[in-house]
Amino acid sequence: MLQVRDGDGETLGVLFERYHAPIYNFYTKLTGDRALSEDLVQEVFLRILRHRQTFRPGTPFRAWIYQIARNARIDHFRKSRPQVPFEPEMAPTVAPGDPAQKQQESELLHRALMELPEEKRELLVLCRFQELPYEEVARLVGCGVSTVKVRIHRALQELRQVFHQLQAAPANSAQRNARQNIPPRRLGHEV
Amino acid sequence: MKCEEIAGLLPDYLQEGLSAEQKKTVERHLESCVECSEVAGLWKKLALIPDEQPSAAGRQRFEAMLQAYQTGRGDEGLTRRAPDKGASIWSVFQWLRSPVGAVAWSIALVALGAYLGLQLGNAKTNSQELAAMHTELTNMRQIVALSMLQQQSASQRLEGVTWTRREGQLDPQVLSALMHTLRHDQSVDVRLAALDALSRHAGQPQVKKTVVDALQEQQSPLVQVALIDQLVEWSDAEAAPRIEKLRQSPNLNPTVRQRADWAISKLN
Repeated sequence: MLQVRDGDGETLGVLFERYHAPIYNFYTKLTGDRALSEDLVQEVFLRILRHRQTFRPGTPFRAWIYQIARNARIDHFRKSRPQVPFEPEMAPTVAPGDPAQKQQESELLHRALMELPEEKRELLVLCRFQELPYEEVARLVGCGVSTVKVRIHRALQELRQVFHQLQAAPANSAQRNARQNIPPRRLGHEV
Repeated sequence: MKCEEIAGLLPDYLQEGLSAEQKKTVERHLESCVECSEVAGLWKKLALIPDEQPSAAGRQRFEAMLQAYQTGRGDEGLTRRAPDKGASIWSVFQWLRSPVGAVAWSIALVALGAYLGLQLGNAKTNSQELAAMHTELTNMRQIVALSMLQQQSASQRLEGVTWTRREGQLDPQVLSALMHTLRHDQSVDVRLAALDALSRHAGQPQVKKTVVDALQEQQSPLVQVALIDQLVEWSDAEAAPRIEKLRQSPNLNPTVRQRADWAISKLN
């Protein structure tokens, strides 16, 4: 990053290689919107270029880029439409060969994640998927480490409740459909 | 141990941050408590949601953005990538296929045809006619820029801004459109490009005034930092009070505030 700061454009390509997929996944899991996630990744790297002079040597680059990524998303939602509701079509792709049950579980879990309040979802995404240690997440969101741990626990409890509700919902719907001779609606999508 | 006590240990257990003894305590509890065991199980199950690969188009956009940025900053900023001959021919070909490219080569062909016609038909072509033709071409380029600045698509407006950079002197109408773009365009990228384009016309008093006024209007920290940088680059001491006013805004992004401090110290 120091090379980028001092004007070496090629090094930004190296940073892009290393970070664009993790940042893209940070956004897809938060927003469930692939196109928007691609746009926000571009915005992040543009901001790195614009703000490169504000990067302080000795500070961790990962924390800095996630701070930029969070700000870019906040700015986006501040000035544009509210978040679109999560649709099955946005469900993540599952590697071929996965059993159908696992795929369904993964989709339900993603739905449950998307139904959590934004702050809880963000914490889970940062700690679980981006694998940031609690200390780093605490600095990022501006609170204490113990607060992050408490919030993670609460987020998981709420995720459990939503997940159970969603698990019950398709079963109810299947029973209703069976009574009415309606074929059950497919969850997810083919890629 | 009760669930409340385990709750304090569970997050560290999930990130494998417990001692062996604490880990055993948690595991013993999980064996007997369904609720805590499900919470811990969900953490593991979250791994079922797989990571996705971003599309190849993202990389192309990034490269185009980097190139556009480097072109915009000229030689003051980043070093260019080593030229790749194949890629550069391909990118020229791609550009010629784009609507802007089509307009450009159409203008070039008309100009070439007119020039050859004049050369062949009238040996007495005088410099006045050539100058008139040059003016005509300049006007056409500015009309293209003006119309592209009003397009729906942000990328086309960006192209429009790029067109304005081809002219040393801008028509007042184009200059006014650029200033309007800087203040009101929806896209941050387009506003930033407009600022870069306007930075070449610091001699025009209304340009400096627009940049200073934009400082109070813009909400994007990215644009605010770029505006501050530009005013420092122009060494516009009169802008210092306006930057100070911005610095005192209650909800200002900390990075922008830091940049404003730096700018004020530079300008005073």
